[in-house]
Amino acid sequence: MYRYDEFDAQLVADRTRQFRGQVERRLAGRLSEAEFRPLRLMNGLYLQLHAYMLRVAVPYGTLNSEQFRMLAHLAEKYDRGYGHVTTRQNMQFNWPKLPDVPDMLDDLASVQMHAIQTSGNCIRNVTCDPYAGATAEEVEDPRPMAELIRQWSTLHPEFTFLPRKFKIAVTAAEKDRALIKAHDIGIQIIRNAAGDIGYKIYVGGGLGRTPIIGQVLREFLPKGELLAYLTAALRVYNRYGRRDNKYKARIKILVQETGIETFTEQVEAEYATIDISDISVSDAERERIASYFAAPDFETLENDPKAFTDALQVNNAFSLWANNNVAAHKAAGYAIVNISLKPKELAPGDITAAQMRDVSDMADTYSFGELRSTHQQNLVLPHVKQSDLLALFTELQAAGLAADNINLITDIICCPGMDFCALATARSIPISQAIAERFADPERQRTIGEMQIKISGCINACGHHHVGHIGILGLEKAGVEFYQIKLGGDASEHAEIGKVTGPGFSQEELIDGIENMVDLYLKQREAGERFLDTYRRIGIAPFKEVLYA
Amino acid sequence: MSTLKHKGKGPQSMTANELRDGFSVWLDENLDWTRDFTKALRTEDTDLIDRMHLRAETDEKANLVVGIYFIDIEPETGLPARYREKFRVNGPSYDTADVLEIS
Ligand code: HEM
Ligand code: SF4
Repeated sequence: MYRYDEFDAQLVADRTRQFRGQVERRLAGRLSEAEFRPLRLMNGLYLQLHAYMLRVAVPYGTLNSEQFRMLAHLAEKYDRGYGHVTTRQNMQFNWPKLPDVPDMLDDLASVQMHAIQTSGNCIRNVTCDPYAGATAEEVEDPRPMAELIRQWSTLHPEFTFLPRKFKIAVTAAEKDRALIKAHDIGIQIIRNAAGDIGYKIYVGGGLGRTPIIGQVLREFLPKGELLAYLTAALRVYNRYGRRDNKYKARIKILVQETGIETFTEQVEAEYATIDISDISVSDAERERIASYFAAPDFETLENDPKAFTDALQVNNAFSLWANNNVAAHKAAGYAIVNISLKPKELAPGDITAAQMRDVSDMADTYSFGELRSTHQQNLVLPHVKQSDLLALFTELQAAGLAADNINLITDIICCPGMDFCALATARSIPISQAIAERFADPERQRTIGEMQIKISGCINACGHHHVGHIGILGLEKAGVEFYQIKLGGDASEHAEIGKVTGPGFSQEELIDGIENMVDLYLKQREAGERFLDTYRRIGIAPFKEVLYA
Repeated sequence: MSTLKHKGKGPQSMTANELRDGFSVWLDENLDWTRDFTKALRTEDTDLIDRMHLRAETDEKANLVVGIYFIDIEPETGLPARYREKFRVNGPSYDTADVLEIS
């Protein structure tokens, strides 16, 4: 579990105190907005379309119940009673008031949280596989490495003013739940033929206005060399990355313009000049960090205990939920539980203060006090005993959190769009609601199978529309919202950018069009095919035909 | 578009956000800030526009508001011309707190 060490605690305390002073001076008129704006952004405070917004960092999506209760407290005391889980695993509050923000940051600091590195041209909050430490698929828990990067990058003097923001994602499983190829740097922990653990490094991925899939920078980097190698890559970026044009400033553009071969040579040349022993981390230090993430005391259990399999037989709702929302755990007798934040009536990713407390209690009772946020804007209880699943399900039902739609067509990723965001060109929440409404029938959702719809309210692509099986981009022309469709995007280890189908649609046309495409898929699909597989097999043309019929 | 030296067309309104609470506000006929756009001053009178500008700058310096700018108004409807500004006038079309009546 992430916790500050003493350095962090001091740093966060200093930052919070400084920011309190800055807010006081701003309110008293001793700081102008021009002076104050960068300071508030450094502390995660944005001014949005209708109000301020505070973005709270959730390092690698790992939270304990005490922290989640504190987020509930913030939502209730300083906001409108709810929070929003973002695609970067963070939590946003839509309605804070400036004079309250220092108190909010103090409250966060009391549970070792903060809003640093959620904004600005620095190395941002590192994102991670939400199943970390729980899935049998991983080579090892990726969070100690994510934490190492976080400690190293926090206010790193050399990398605080990069040409542009820098996002790193990590996973230790072949199955990619962290979208590593759509990040500035993506890291996969792997084991080589000799059985040694090391890192496969991707570079130059990103979404936004120029979506690019990351390419391999290093096939295998030995374990002790990570920070030295990242230093080399960041130095090359710092040196050659464009500062003249903010739309060309991300590392993905540099890699594209330089070419991956030359870029790799530059990084390796820089790397050759670095004395690894200066930056490398001792085994003792690595172990110290890893100890924060020590696995909980799992009991010795058998898989599929009778209480669980019996309940599957007799309780249909439970069985549907368990089949869809529960994943295999590395420890026998345990399971990973996905909690869907996509009920039909609410905006994707929103959760009320009461629900946050309920989930915190459930985490305490059933999951060693641990929970995770996911880039799909859902939550995970990572370590639940299979024999407890029915009891947990019953509590989730009571809390309104038992939607059994994980990875189905109504498990939509959706940014706040014009309803909250100052940069939006169109709304996105009403689109996700209209789709959820149209495909409300759970039986039909299951028939359709895995489907990832992702919606962004502008080209910044916070809603990941480029990598949706169906991606939707909200635009506006002459005062009317319209929506462009992309098909065939993929956010998995087979990452791919979707293709635009053509001219956009009104909201009604859009929902009809999606339904027509889904019907076409159901007619055309072969055994075991998902929408994406059928699309890949038959191509875009038949889908365009039904879209523009 | 957000322009201070209003290069805009037709009637203008002045808008900003409150420094403390962050809410959107517009200048009314008394050159006070209102959260209610229906009370906003919408005018083509260049003298008035100059006074609005001065008032907004003064209040920004006095730390009442941030991010001042003029918006174009459609003469026919009295509403902001740009879609974003029309939207801003109404507030979110969706808010979880409203749906659940929790705040
Ligand atoms: C409401 C306030 C928000 C603002 C002002 C904002 C602003 C931006 C901007 C300007 C970019 C483009 C950055 C660039 O590449 O140049 C961006 C990208 C992004 N934002 Fe946001 N965003 C907001 C909310 C969110 C939310 C709610 C999410 C998650 C649901 C999110 C997740 C992301 C992601 C994943 C990207 C992808 C960028 C990439 O990989 O290139 N943001 N955001
Ligand atoms: S994609 Fe655009 S509209 Fe959506 S949150 Fe990001 S910046 Fe705002």
